[in-house]
Amino acid sequence: MANKHVNAVVIGAGAGGGVVAKELATAGLSVLLIERGRWHTFDEHGDDELTSQRTFPLKCGYGPDNEHNWRMASDGKGGWIKVFPNDWAYGNNAACVGSGTVSYGAMAWRFQPADFHLKTKYGAVPGSTLDDWPLTYDELEPFYEKAEYELGVSGDPTNDPFVPPRKNPYPMPAFSFNSEGIILEKAAKRLGLHPFPIPMLRNSVPYNGRPACIRMRTCVGFACPVNAKAGTQNTVIPVALKTGNCELRINCMVSEIIVDDKGKARGIKYFDADNKLQEQTSDLVVVSASASETARLLLNSKSSLFPKGAGNNNGWVGRNIQDHAYTGAYGLFADKLYDDVGPGACIAVNDFNHRMPDIIGGGVLCNEFIRMPYQFSSIRPSGSRMWGKDHKDFQKLNFKRHIAVHGPVQEMPVFDKMVEVDPVVKDFWGIPVVRISGFRHDNDIKVGRLLADKAEEWLKEAGAVQTWKSVPGKGSTPSQHQSGTCRMGNDPKTSVTNRYGQLHEIDNIFVADGSLHVNNGGYNPALTILALGYWVGGHIAEMWKGTHMK
Amino acid sequence: MINQSFSRREFVRLLTGGTAAVLISFNTACKNKISRWRYLQEEEIGLLDAIVEQIIPTDDFPGGKWANVSNYIDKQLDTYYINHQVEYRDGLAAFEKTVIQLKSKKFEELPFPEQTAILEKMEGGDFPGEYWKAHSPAGFFDMIRQHSMQGFYGSPVHGGNREYISYHMLGLDYPNVIGQNRYNDLSWRKYNPNSIENGK
Amino acid sequence: MKKIFIIISGLLVLVVALLAGYSQWNAASPTKTCASCHEISHSVDLWGGSTHRNIACKECHGTALSEGLHSLKEKGAMVFHHIGKLNPDDVRISEVQRLDVMKRCIACHQTEYAKWNSGGHAMNYSEVFLNPGHNKAETIYDDCLRCHGMFYDKGTVVDIVEPLDSAGPWKLKDASLSDRPAIPCFACHQVHQSGNPDSRPDLGTPALLHYSRVKKTLASLYYRRDKMYFPVLLIANPEINYQSTSVKVSNDPNQRLCIQCHSANAFNMGGTDDDRTPRGVHEGISCLACHDSHSNSAISSCKICHPAISNCKLDVEKMNTTFFDKSSKNNIHFVSCTDCHTKGRPAKSTRP
Repeated sequence: MANKHVNAVVIGAGAGGGVVAKELATAGLSVLLIERGRWHTFDEHGDDELTSQRTFPLKCGYGPDNEHNWRMASDGKGGWIKVFPNDWAYGNNAACVGSGTVSYGAMAWRFQPADFHLKTKYGAVPGSTLDDWPLTYDELEPFYEKAEYELGVSGDPTNDPFVPPRKNPYPMPAFSFNSEGIILEKAAKRLGLHPFPIPMLRNSVPYNGRPACIRMRTCVGFACPVNAKAGTQNTVIPVALKTGNCELRINCMVSEIIVDDKGKARGIKYFDADNKLQEQTSDLVVVSASASETARLLLNSKSSLFPKGAGNNNGWVGRNIQDHAYTGAYGLFADKLYDDVGPGACIAVNDFNHRMPDIIGGGVLCNEFIRMPYQFSSIRPSGSRMWGKDHKDFQKLNFKRHIAVHGPVQEMPVFDKMVEVDPVVKDFWGIPVVRISGFRHDNDIKVGRLLADKAEEWLKEAGAVQTWKSVPGKGSTPSQHQSGTCRMGNDPKTSVTNRYGQLHEIDNIFVADGSLHVNNGGYNPALTILALGYWVGGHIAEMWKGTHMK
Repeated sequence: MINQSFSRREFVRLLTGGTAAVLISFNTACKNKISRWRYLQEEEIGLLDAIVEQIIPTDDFPGGKWANVSNYIDKQLDTYYINHQVEYRDGLAAFEKTVIQLKSKKFEELPFPEQTAILEKMEGGDFPGEYWKAHSPAGFFDMIRQHSMQGFYGSPVHGGNREYISYHMLGLDYPNVIGQNRYNDLSWRKYNPNSIENGK
Repeated sequence: MKKIFIIISGLLVLVVALLAGYSQWNAASPTKTCASCHEISHSVDLWGGSTHRNIACKECHGTALSEGLHSLKEKGAMVFHHIGKLNPDDVRISEVQRLDVMKRCIACHQTEYAKWNSGGHAMNYSEVFLNPGHNKAETIYDDCLRCHGMFYDKGTVVDIVEPLDSAGPWKLKDASLSDRPAIPCFACHQVHQSGNPDSRPDLGTPALLHYSRVKKTLASLYYRRDKMYFPVLLIANPEINYQSTSVKVSNDPNQRLCIQCHSANAFNMGGTDDDRTPRGVHEGISCLACHDSHSNSAISSCKICHPAISNCKLDVEKMNTTFFDKSSKNNIHFVSCTDCHTKGRPAKSTRP
């Protein structure tokens, strides 16, 4: 039985996809939200570190699974090896309803206004395709607010002089600091920094029919046992489903977007829950499968007018993939300071973001989410023996005596850091797999080293008796902050979509996930992806009222 | 049979004989005792125990052997780490042969400091490689090391961390004791921008 | 004619053999039958060292015929699975199977059952999940099952009750849950747990009996997240604080079990969430000093200490606390002298 035609197919029920589905469904379009994963609950995974989305030696608890999915990664010697989702080289991002927003740490950052016009601010960066966004912070501001209110963000900008301008306050008060935060706050003030609470997509008070956070220790990498963490799966997706206009189809792997000979998308091909190939026709397609998977899907959707993949005649689909060059430092303290109050990450400083002379970009510095035992077993000063008595002693002594301060350094987009599809290897369903290659820009390492110094200084001021840094390397696979592969731009020669996420080359295919980001800010990208979901979704709904994409 | 009817005696004989036959076969069928281990064998477990005990030694808290780390590894070899099965079998065999070549004794029989010295050499790659075909000694050691850390510090549902010993050692409050929200005045949760001490 | 006889006799042989074999199976030692396969040998070892060591498997777990068609189907399924390639590592007993076993706990432990049934822990699923006052105050979520419904194995809270909001009206998605106990015996008791019953002491010097008793307990929390048991002796004594000072918490290991569910917030602050750790005049006293472990009743508990320990020679049962009157502002767990004597505690009463 053929599937009924719908107005819009939204591929990927994650941060962007969930929001777009809701915007379109409430505007009256018939929507199919199609997702490769399924629903997950806290109850299914508990607080098991080894199958969390944070440390995943056994498997990625929230998908993708090892049985159906693999990629090719560079072996460092010019060849490729097969890697699975629980390998670091795979670069996983959760694959379930809500995707990363089920298990993320839920930091809710707005990018800085400068992040939208880095090229104008800093000039062209040699070796980077850095460009301005085709929209400004001010244009996106109302959509940031929409995301903050509809999903629920707690924050307090009072003590952050560098806060991006906002018309309205945060809907919920910020979280109090745990003992780490209190120690770091005092030290930061002594250093002349401006510490403030991290805004979070997490209820500090009951909001939107969901309870407040109970402050447990396992947050990032796990679903929430009381549903206090906001994700698209417990906010916008249920709203979309309630309109009656949206159908959610889970366990369905989209293999191709069907593009006809006139260069128009007609629908999608996908493998249903029984692994049978199906077709679904629609008037428009929105791709929100995460930067690597969105690029993969477009590259695999070849047609007569687009032999290199849908919208890829200029060769920019899959290019410029970014993540964040995480940097930071650890400090050991003389006294026990662990108080088991989650989520752990609570305090941040913006002083090193766009504010360092002769430095391009930067990033926020925050304390880290609570480190669990297995995770902590690999946190040691370099040169330490990673086994034996010394290792065990360190674990015992310092588990409750250490603080970690880290930050996401804003990467400079590099054309050759990219996603391709492998010419030979296919996944379980016969779809060519992702192959990520390329190296970071030198600027990322330079800024990373500088920020690590600042983090170390902060920890020393806080009273750390021993500190060590952890700086980013040149080659790492973009993973849970992946972005940049289908970037927005006004110039169709150096971008994939226009300012509304619409492919330059194909009018009725839109992108609504991290792929759109020209650069990825010095912050965790979730809130920006959500805001762009409202921006793109709202625009499609407007367009629909006029032309119906005909 | 020549007689047409079935005599009572024959009937009883058939009944008892048949019953006995079924019972005997029933008993013998379940005689095969299945090994306690899923993939690894008893001697491999013995060697693995010695290695994990080196990686996480006993001090005032039990070490890898007591904490069932070998059980964790064996359990994963049957499930998530099924692709590592050959690596373990080959690696453990090669390791034992190499040690015997170096020390004329099995690894398990060496005194503790000598075992440590051997593992240090293996980690550093300073190991005669003649028995190692596809895998490097250093790579093999690192794999066991990582798996041991998972088995000792990870959740006991995966077969290791017996009686939550590592959480106990670290003083981690387990099970995590947090009550419901509803009776609270939630003011203690909130950040006070005007106070140097936020929270409590 | 002959053929029919042989066929009938053959069938009879089969039936008799099966019955004989089955009763032999049930009567034989578990090490030769169930536990000859490795996956449950650990449970059998624990049982062998437990207080129930002299009770055969089938006394608690029943046989194929003990629950009629239901158990026949269940045991049949087990045989079927054993023929297939199944070597499951994590064999677990289902919630329904547990409740079947619970019927047999009740057969011997009648007093404990009667007490449990008379208390709050006898609540069933509909009393837990359909309580309007409770649901309006806090939305239903996964973590609810940690304390009541911990054995529910057909999904999670979304499969039990709908809607999952605080508006209601609520109804159970599965009607069979309605009368099912949400906190059965096994929530606090791990039957397959090594531990001897109290041994007979040396009665040579009766006066010294108390000193030779070993304080131990076999209470165990069933922790839903790991689907494992936590003997209370492995649980750390909780550290509760109140207004920047540490609250003295009794060392009674059994109390740690209570505190797993009646717990404070993430900051371990006394008086928050479900915490009832005594402060004030009762600080340092175990929950179980006043509350019976199965019925949780504290009705006649004051007499354990009072009036022998009393500073005011008043009948403590009639003082203005929540023990006497539900609406009192002095919660019996937290009441202290200064709640009434606002100007400070007076000198010890000289009332006769």
